[in-house]
Amino acid sequence: MTRLFAVIERDLKKFKRNPVVLGMSILMPIIYLVILGNSFQGKLTDLPLAVVSQDGGPYAKRLVEYLMAVQAGPKTFLVLPMTDQKKAVDGVRTGKYKAALIIPPDFSKRVVVNGRPDVGLFLDNTDSISADTIRNLIDAALSSLGSEYVPVREPDGTPLLRDINLYGKVDYYQSLVPGVVIMAIFLGTLTTGAFNLVMDRFLGIEESYLLTPLSKGNIVGGLIISGLFITTINALFIFVASVLITGIPLSRGFGNFLPVFLVVVLTTLCLLSLMFAIMGRISHPRIVGVLSGFLNVILFFPSGAVYPVASFPGWLKSFARVNPEAYAVDAMKSLLFKNVGLGNIMGDLLFLSLFTAAMMGLAIATFKRTL
Amino acid sequence: MGERDSVESASQDKAITVSGITREFGLATAVDRISFEVDRGEFFGFLGPNGAGKTTLIRMLTTLLKPTSGQAIVSGYDVAEHPSQVRRRIGVVPQAMTSDLDLTGRENMDIYGRFYGIRSAERKERTDELLEMVGLAQRADDLVATYSGGMRRRLEIARVLVHRPALLFLDEPTIGLDPQSRRVVWELLKKLIRSDTITIFLTTHYMEEAEMLCGRVAIIDAGKIIAMGSPPELKAGIPGNDIVTLRVGGLTDDITAAIGKLPFVHKVNREEDSVSASVEGGAQNLPGLIDIVRASGGTILSASVHEQSLEDVFIHYTGKSIREEEAKKVSFLVGAGMPRRLGG
Repeated sequence: MTRLFAVIERDLKKFKRNPVVLGMSILMPIIYLVILGNSFQGKLTDLPLAVVSQDGGPYAKRLVEYLMAVQAGPKTFLVLPMTDQKKAVDGVRTGKYKAALIIPPDFSKRVVVNGRPDVGLFLDNTDSISADTIRNLIDAALSSLGSEYVPVREPDGTPLLRDINLYGKVDYYQSLVPGVVIMAIFLGTLTTGAFNLVMDRFLGIEESYLLTPLSKGNIVGGLIISGLFITTINALFIFVASVLITGIPLSRGFGNFLPVFLVVVLTTLCLLSLMFAIMGRISHPRIVGVLSGFLNVILFFPSGAVYPVASFPGWLKSFARVNPEAYAVDAMKSLLFKNVGLGNIMGDLLFLSLFTAAMMGLAIATFKRTL
Repeated sequence: MGERDSVESASQDKAITVSGITREFGLATAVDRISFEVDRGEFFGFLGPNGAGKTTLIRMLTTLLKPTSGQAIVSGYDVAEHPSQVRRRIGVVPQAMTSDLDLTGRENMDIYGRFYGIRSAERKERTDELLEMVGLAQRADDLVATYSGGMRRRLEIARVLVHRPALLFLDEPTIGLDPQSRRVVWELLKKLIRSDTITIFLTTHYMEEAEMLCGRVAIIDAGKIIAMGSPPELKAGIPGNDIVTLRVGGLTDDITAAIGKLPFVHKVNREEDSVSASVEGGAQNLPGLIDIVRASGGTILSASVHEQSLEDVFIHYTGKSIREEEAKKVSFLVGAGMPRRLGG
């Protein structure tokens, strides 16, 4: 045990002497939360829409008014009235506008005589998300033209859709919290544990402790435990910070602190063991750099942290079934948003434990005690 | 089985017994059927150029590399069969600097002591004593990152003595050190061999280092021992007692051959525009050498006479100078990620 503790202490002391790393590994996942929250957000706004109305009639005016109302309300568009049709279309081509709406001179007349009125909509369909949103809104605007007045009350007999949310309101920001905590764990396990072994190997320092009576278990176990210590503290710090930032009700955020702590510890152990199994024999930090980006993408995006696993194609779903981050995200989401107890995440915890045991075994078995 | 037992028991009074040890890396043979013995309390040196197989040999003796074939008994245990027993009994200073830069000198010593399971009180006492011995007591609580190369090496020597090893291995301990630091390390090693009941095994490619420190030297080249003995014995083993080096204008092979025919000349080597000859009584016979060069149409640009050294022993056996550096072999696939493998 003395030997194991000596390995842990050596690693922790060295980490402590690099406060910049410590600061960055706390700050980065929080910045991640802010960037992810703002770049993948649910609603689109301020899409530049060029509108060329060649018709002075009432229906053309009404259509433009409708669009202006959207601009003032949900702010989906930025309506830019123009006169030159060619300029508008070219603007879409060069990326200046997301779409150009052309209202032909006989539009109002055709509406009145029921002569199949139509408008031209040039869409930048390379950005399919914006294009879909604009098309749907213009569609809605056109169909509203048919009715002369806005109905005062809902017509009887039409079935109404009423949303029933099973769980308390979860906004987009809050739904990212489990992902951000998992991300913090991933980053932590990448820069502790096996990475320290790779660095020692690269610097030639590894040789000095391979020459001592330390066992394989001492070396692998010691590095994993020190990595666990650092990463867990880090992840819990980020958990608390992101609960406060996103306004998850404290009763749910901290009421479940113990189970969350358990999930964090288990996920950390799991990823540390995985890293050790993968990097146990790597001798150049550059390979770790290359691997880190790759591992982040293949573990994080199919984890369900940003997009639901249910919408994945079959092959990706199968991958999510063996992806430890998917189980970690599921467990965290259950605890934070469904407010269920430990009993309901037993399956996740079991998978994470088995995965950890398998990877730790692999790491110790493949670790070379010789050069 | 019987054979191994006899080897182990015969080696009780030996610190190291090596028989036919070989290590291959793919097609290259880094160490080729080497056998030797080192007595307890001996200061034994392996002298050879870079790439000769010194580091590979020391790594096999210290359990870091498995021998392809052959056997080595170190401190009474077979390195391949009982590596952990061997590790407990030896101290090794590898060629690369291996102290942790982010820790202080004292922390380096303390953590290393714990790797050996030494109790806290003893560790503390031993650390103070050793840091004092290597002259780092004043800097003990500074980060190793602030140390000079010589200080770092001294710390590493102190660090491997913390568990009182019976056998100390040093792989090119003064490589890359300035002359002054080198002298400090030499004094330290001399003090160690005098005061302690310790055996020291050192590899080097510095002649003066082997000559000054080692009681016995094995000269290694291309993975094989080419000569072994005390430095005076080795020098006595090659003919002649002085080396005369002549730089000659218009040097031809005929001139070299004419020198070789003189009765007091044992061996001649030509390197570009100079000839060096091992000669009986260099100073008395220098005029004779100069005469024969002139008679053969050469002009003397410079002449020097010096006593034979281990380097001349090396040249005698291999026909090349020990200082010739070979390029380090590095993995094609991962570059500098794997330079230790084939280290000289």
